[in-house]
Amino acid sequence: MMRWPKEQVPSDAAVTLRVEGLSKRFGGLQVFDDIALELEPGGILGVIGPNGAGKTTLINVICGMLSPSAGRILVGSQEITGKPLHVVSGMGVVRSFQQTNTFRSACVGENLARAARFSVGDAEADLGLDTLLEEFGLRQHLEDPSGDLPYGLQKMLGLLMALATQPRFLLLDEPAAGLEVRERVHIDRFVQHARSVLGCGVLIVEHDMELIRRLCPRILVLEAGRVLASGAPAEVLARREVIDAYMGESEEEKC
Amino acid sequence: MKMQPRSRNVFFTDMWALALLAPMILVPILTTNQYYYSLANQALIGLVAALSVYIMLRMDLLSFAVPAFMAIGGYAAAIAAKGGNTNLLLLMALSFAAPALVALPLGALVLRLKGVYFVLVTFVFNEILQLALFETPKLSGGSNGISGVPSVTLLGMDLGTNQGVVYVTLLVAFVATLITLAVTHRYRPEFASIEENETLAESLGLATWRYRTFGFVVAAGVAGLAGFALVNMLMTAHPSSFSSFSGINYIAYAIVGGRGTMLGPVVGTGLLVWSSNLFSSKGEYSAGLFGLLIIVVVTAAPSGLVGTIHQFFKAIRRRLSVSADLPTNSDAATSQPIKGGGP
Repeated sequence: MMRWPKEQVPSDAAVTLRVEGLSKRFGGLQVFDDIALELEPGGILGVIGPNGAGKTTLINVICGMLSPSAGRILVGSQEITGKPLHVVSGMGVVRSFQQTNTFRSACVGENLARAARFSVGDAEADLGLDTLLEEFGLRQHLEDPSGDLPYGLQKMLGLLMALATQPRFLLLDEPAAGLEVRERVHIDRFVQHARSVLGCGVLIVEHDMELIRRLCPRILVLEAGRVLASGAPAEVLARREVIDAYMGESEEEKC
Repeated sequence: MKMQPRSRNVFFTDMWALALLAPMILVPILTTNQYYYSLANQALIGLVAALSVYIMLRMDLLSFAVPAFMAIGGYAAAIAAKGGNTNLLLLMALSFAAPALVALPLGALVLRLKGVYFVLVTFVFNEILQLALFETPKLSGGSNGISGVPSVTLLGMDLGTNQGVVYVTLLVAFVATLITLAVTHRYRPEFASIEENETLAESLGLATWRYRTFGFVVAAGVAGLAGFALVNMLMTAHPSSFSSFSGINYIAYAIVGGRGTMLGPVVGTGLLVWSSNLFSSKGEYSAGLFGLLIIVVVTAAPSGLVGTIHQFFKAIRRRLSVSADLPTNSDAATSQPIKGGGP
């Protein structure tokens, strides 16, 4: 029992994730207003902005944890606006979390098995998770409770769990936050893998400018809930207003 | 890579719960002492009720509504038996189905609530049901209850004898244990994930409300079975058999024994039913002694008796395996061996 028919997105490779006129208000507080973005399969979109710009709330709204105050979210021609989290996930739009987020008492292998079990993905598909587990140093911890792992490994496990659901689109909320510098290349590797194996479109919210420059051909700068700028990172990050807004106006914080 | 959620070890512990029930068959054979019969009935009925609590605890929900669902199952069976349907299997099916059907719409309402709010609402549900029993004398006999419930039959056999009642209670306990075992294992990953991190489970695609509703419905059915066994033992369905206070006892059975595996409710029920009978010889102090025992166990063993013993052995085994690893591992501080095998 309990295998309800899930809503399936047409398996057309050209399906895009589109956000139109999206706004979110908490009472009198406007978190963001009139955001539009589009993510193609295999595409990478970086979203940056100072703290409080509304980046995490944007992910929370797209993935269905919060419902928007206005606007639409579409996967292909299908509207997912206001659908609950598990339905959006079942339609292939899967998020990762800014903090470590695993089933802490379950071992690493069990965590990944649950991710595969809860998703609608094809159980037989080879996602190449073995390779990534090895590279990220998680392989020898397969039998260990995930809550006992170091912070960085828990975060990578969270990403792998999102991947194990075989998403079409990944929404990564500061995947590199809290990672050591030498661990940050794992994020590059992960994103590359998700694109090449599953053709995932990846939306990545991040503060690590180096990572953004390396990964994203296109970025969106949010400031106080509005799109301040968008385009290629080299060009956008050189704009005066972006530097002012994002890096702050004080000299010593430029980096 | 093919990965299966692993729950073999838990499964073995749970099988112990079933194995511990088996020797109860001997009770009516070895003795004709009424005291032991009554103790066996009391313990087995308590166990079934505690299993209902246990199913809900698997999803981190504490339910005080067990006596209410017991009442629905018990009264349904009593009314049917009064109407001439005394077949044991039919009555068991009925006493499971009636509360399960009530739980389905009720679950849609109350399962939105979490934590203490859920606890309160289930408690209130008990009180409402008590009131409903008193206010519907035509159906439930009101404050008189339904007395003179005819004894159950199976294949023409009358099971109204003292031995017969123990066997009926035992069968109910077996069936309830099997149902609990089946449900908590088939959906163990789902229940465990709901218990530990519901948001993460949903973000991975799990429709948590379906499983929570399913668990609630089965827990109600299991409680109904306990109600049937109780009514069958007393030959009476009466509101006082299903007081809110009895619900607290069932919760104590599950939590004192340990909520981690099914062995917990079995051990907890055994210990507490036995000790409450022991204490009852102390007259006015019995409730106090009973309470004291619960406080001691819960303070000294917060994960329940079974959970604490389990952790104790795990710690010993880990210490042993670490000291066994030391000589072979002296040169390899950097390369950790891939662990395999048991926990």
